[in-house]
Order: sequence, then structure tokens, then C-alpha cells
Amino acid sequence: MTADVFLFWFLALITVISGLAVVLMANPIYSALCLAMTMISVAAIFVTLQAYFLAGVQIIVYAGAVMVLFVMVLMLFDLKHELQAFTRGRATGALKIASVGILSGLIVGAVTIGLTIAGRSSDEVISAAAAGGVVDTTRGLSEALFLKNIFGFEALGVLLLVIAVGTVALSRSKGGTHARD
Amino acid sequence: MPETNMITTIGAEHYLVLSAILFSIGMAGVLLRRNLIVLLMSIELMLNAVNISFVTFSYYSGKVEGQIMVFFVMTIAAAEAAVGLALAVSIFKRFKEVNIRFFEHLKG
Repeated sequence: MTADVFLFWFLALITVISGLAVVLMANPIYSALCLAMTMISVAAIFVTLQAYFLAGVQIIVYAGAVMVLFVMVLMLFDLKHELQAFTRGRATGALKIASVGILSGLIVGAVTIGLTIAGRSSDEVISAAAAGGVVDTTRGLSEALFLKNIFGFEALGVLLLVIAVGTVALSRSKGGTHARD
Repeated sequence: MPETNMITTIGAEHYLVLSAILFSIGMAGVLLRRNLIVLLMSIELMLNAVNISFVTFSYYSGKVEGQIMVFFVMTIAAAEAAVGLALAVSIFKRFKEVNIRFFEHLKG
């Protein structure tokens, strides 16, 4: 068992356990902390896939900005007593869990069958990736982002502006945090 | 020996199955929880699972377009968290609880 194999299983275990903890913890603060843990381990998974720049962006944007936003909003609320964290109804709950299980089974089956039909064993794919070269990732990333996908990039800028204006408008509206009286 | 091969050789399917498991956990969270903020967190979990599969395909096909998509997904996720949390604050100010069953009262 080499180091990167061990690393994958370790990171997968941490990701799944902390992801489960996000859903199962009754206190939302613990959920937020487990979500930060999940984000960081997903960033480490990006590192094992040689997406170094994305790993950095993941930590800065998710584990930094988004999680701070979540925790700050949680601190605004007084959620000491949370009654009934989960939905009611045993039968509908079983139905929901069954639908989730069916979905995950479908995805896993599609992945395994699809890779078998494609007929590429993992070793060939790995060697192809090593030969094709995802080296110099950040440079290729910026070229693809600013030369090929410049329209999408600009559209994202417009979207962020719209979201910022919309959030301010929402908080200034009736019932918001900064409502005009 | 296929079993030992599956454990000791990490391929694309391992990352894809991990992504599927994470996505299913997030979906279970959205379906089962009632707290709006935990719902938003579960959505972030699902978006992260999608990011993992994008990066996996990008790595195993040797192209960077998948990573561009991850940038877009991250931006959308941040925007969605901002708007969702603003809605959560406005619900909390009115009802003193962050529960999805109060969403029907937000009309008008």
C-alpha cells in the first residue's frame, strides 16, 4: 500500500464521516464546524488530484468566506433549544432515506458499469493522465478561463453584482435586518 | 485478485463513488432536516460532491475544462449562500425560529 493510496482512503473516510456529522448533528454550530472539516478534506482531495490552485481557492472561498458567513448568521440567532431537528413522520422518513439509497446505488452502478464498458482499466487511465500532463495546472487554468471562457467569467461577475444588490435589497425590505421604518 | 486490486489501486471510480456518497449525504440532509441553515449546508455538501467529480474527470482526461466548471460552481455556491442566509435572517426576525415550514408565510 503506497502513500497516495493510504492518503485517498484516509481523506475519503474523513470526508464521509464529517459529511455524515453535518447531517446528523442536532446543533447547527457543530454542523457548521463539521462542514468546515469536510471542505478542508475536499481541498486535500483536490491536492491528490493535482488541482493545487483549486485546493487553495476551495480553502479560501469555502472554508474561509462561506463558513464564516454561516457561523456569523448562526451567532445572530439564539438557537440554544432546537426542538425537532428532523422532519416528522416515520414512513416518509423511511421513504426519503430509501430514495437517497436508490439514487446513490444508481450513481455507483452507473460509474462502475460505465468504466467497465469503456474498457479502460485504471492503470491505463492513470498512465494516460501522467503522459497527457496536467502539469502546469495554474497556467493552463488561467489560459482556459481568460481566453476560452471569458464570456462565462464576465457573466459570473454580473451575477455576483446582482446577488450583492439583491442581498442588500432583501435586508432593506420589510422584515429584513436593516428595514426602513 | 480483484479485491486487493480495488483497494490498492486508486482509479477514477474511487473518486466518483466518493462523490456519489457525499452527494447522497447532502441530499439526505436536504430531505430530512428542518433547520434552514443546515439545509443550506447540505446544499453546499452536494455542490462539493459535484466539484470532486469535475476535478476527477479533469484529472483523468488531462483537460482543464472541468476545473473551470469548478470555479463557476464555487461562485454560484457563494452567491446562493449569501441570498439563502439573508432569507434565513429575515425569517428569523419574524418568527424567532429558522424552520422551513415558515417559508410559506414569506409571501407578500
